[in-house]
Amino acid sequence: MALLYGLLWRLLLFLVHINRALVSWLRVRLRSWKGRLWERAMAALLLPVALAGVPDPQRKVNQEPGANANPVTGNRSAGRRSRWLSDGRSLEKLPVHIGLLVAEEEPSYTDIANLAVWCMAVGISYVSVYDNHGIFQKNNSRLLEEIVRQQQDLLGVDGSKCNVEFLRQGSDKHQHHVVSCWPAVKVLSPEDGKQSIVQAAQQLCRSVENRERSSRDISVSMLDLLLRESKSVPDPELVVKFGPVDSTLGFLPWHIRLTEFISLPSHRDVSYEDLLGVLRRFGSCQQRLGQ
Amino acid sequence: MSWIREGELNLLEKISANILKAGPMPKHVAFIMDGNRRFARKKHMERQEGHMQGFNKLAETLRWCKHLNIQEVTVYAFSIENFKRSKNEVDGLMVLAKQKFEKLLEERENLEKHGVCIRVLGDLNMLPLDLQQLIAKAVVSTKSHNKCFLNVCFAYTSRYEITNAVREMAWGVEQGLIKASDVSEALLSECLYSNNSPNPDLLIRTSGEVRLSDFLLWQTSHSCLVFQSVLWPEYSFWNLCEAILQYQLNHKSIQKARDLHRDHQALLQLEADRACVAEHLQHHGNGKPADARRRQEALQHYATCREERIQDFLGVLQHKRDSYYSDLLSDAVVA
Repeated sequence: MALLYGLLWRLLLFLVHINRALVSWLRVRLRSWKGRLWERAMAALLLPVALAGVPDPQRKVNQEPGANANPVTGNRSAGRRSRWLSDGRSLEKLPVHIGLLVAEEEPSYTDIANLAVWCMAVGISYVSVYDNHGIFQKNNSRLLEEIVRQQQDLLGVDGSKCNVEFLRQGSDKHQHHVVSCWPAVKVLSPEDGKQSIVQAAQQLCRSVENRERSSRDISVSMLDLLLRESKSVPDPELVVKFGPVDSTLGFLPWHIRLTEFISLPSHRDVSYEDLLGVLRRFGSCQQRLGQ
Repeated sequence: MSWIREGELNLLEKISANILKAGPMPKHVAFIMDGNRRFARKKHMERQEGHMQGFNKLAETLRWCKHLNIQEVTVYAFSIENFKRSKNEVDGLMVLAKQKFEKLLEERENLEKHGVCIRVLGDLNMLPLDLQQLIAKAVVSTKSHNKCFLNVCFAYTSRYEITNAVREMAWGVEQGLIKASDVSEALLSECLYSNNSPNPDLLIRTSGEVRLSDFLLWQTSHSCLVFQSVLWPEYSFWNLCEAILQYQLNHKSIQKARDLHRDHQALLQLEADRACVAEHLQHHGNGKPADARRRQEALQHYATCREERIQDFLGVLQHKRDSYYSDLLSDAVVA
């Protein structure tokens, strides 16, 4: 009997896997079909404009020094940029801080860079990238380069406007990446999670050891301040989780109290429309804060 | 309505349960039982009736869990944030809680038969005194039961729990029981309200919300999270099966992530011990550079001492928590 149940369980799991694969395959097919339709519609709309030869007002914006030398791509990226910005404005609410949680074996730098650039383009101020192996943090310069390149490609902006900060104690060698403060991409690893809470606890205990503070004075807001001070970022309102694992895998436990978790099947070949869909879903979420 | 439901599963449920049990099963499941008020609104009931139905569903879920060999369940009954609700509703919830804990004490024999141990996680000081005493009675009288465990989070938020753990460790430092350098992830876990439980394998939130709302943030960092759209009073056996199936699909990768995390933690502890020993040798080693063997011995010695310190401290902490309950009970007798 146990053998039969075991076999049935395996069959069940197999069916669920097939179901998942089918759904994701359909999603890709549907998207490419929709994408083609969208392209055609856009072409039909833009053709009269091109024939009339009306100068695009946005072209001027893009003629800043250091921007794209090529007016055609410049025009395209400016159009894209304004579309993305208006997409962001059209949403009911937009997170100030978004987390990108990659729960997959093989990270793709290009796709994460794309996502980061799209997030910035719609008007999100802080982007945190996390994987539980700390791969992105180990290869942070590669991710940075990729983001700068994608930013130039997609937005036609000068790369120096981007600011990437890598949170990690003792990583002073990366300090030179920190240029300005908006928008900021942060690369996190498990050490920024529980370990940073432990460090804050140690700090408080040391001050108790040195008789600077009593244990009774320790409060939630005190701990929060300590954990915030080292990050200087608001808590992420939204975490987009990529991959088949349904877990936070150690993503900033202190900071995800009110975070909405929305999943996408993979960050590989993820499209702008996928991200927009997630942001729309986030816009419709309501929080009651215990009330 | 009682806490313990008797009764077998029907044939179809039994077969499905057996199929699921052929795979890896979660040992500890946590629930955010969301949607009672929305359910009441939907059915044009009083809000309180919605909460009542929610409790009945909990009793039913516990029965399913027993049949699925899930030994431990943790539920989010009342958050510290819930004190912000209207006085009317908060009072109603407190009355409901009182009734339920009274009922639980009546059912003591039944709890003993099933070996159910009840624990309440949270800051009980925030609750009315009579409720505190009832809770103390329930907790103390079921303390020795060890077949299944029900943890009720009451006047709880995870940030508060973590802060309280830090406070306890600082208290240990104040008392000279531990050193600030002994503070580690493992020690912090041991100082949480949930110190007697393994971390949940599966966390289920109903009613379609996709956030944790300050529940077990520390403990669920490597748990399978399942968000289901059904309202809690409408939760069914099949919803539970679906969640377990999702856990089984995730099981391997989460296990891998857990192992990775554990190895990393062990490494960090070793590094911390090394740093402490190096500092010690520098101060007391007469300036001579220690040879490798002596250093290794010192490291081992230090680790043993640290472990002893921590065990002593945890013993004292446990005693402090136990005496909180016994004080409440003796107060109740005097009153």
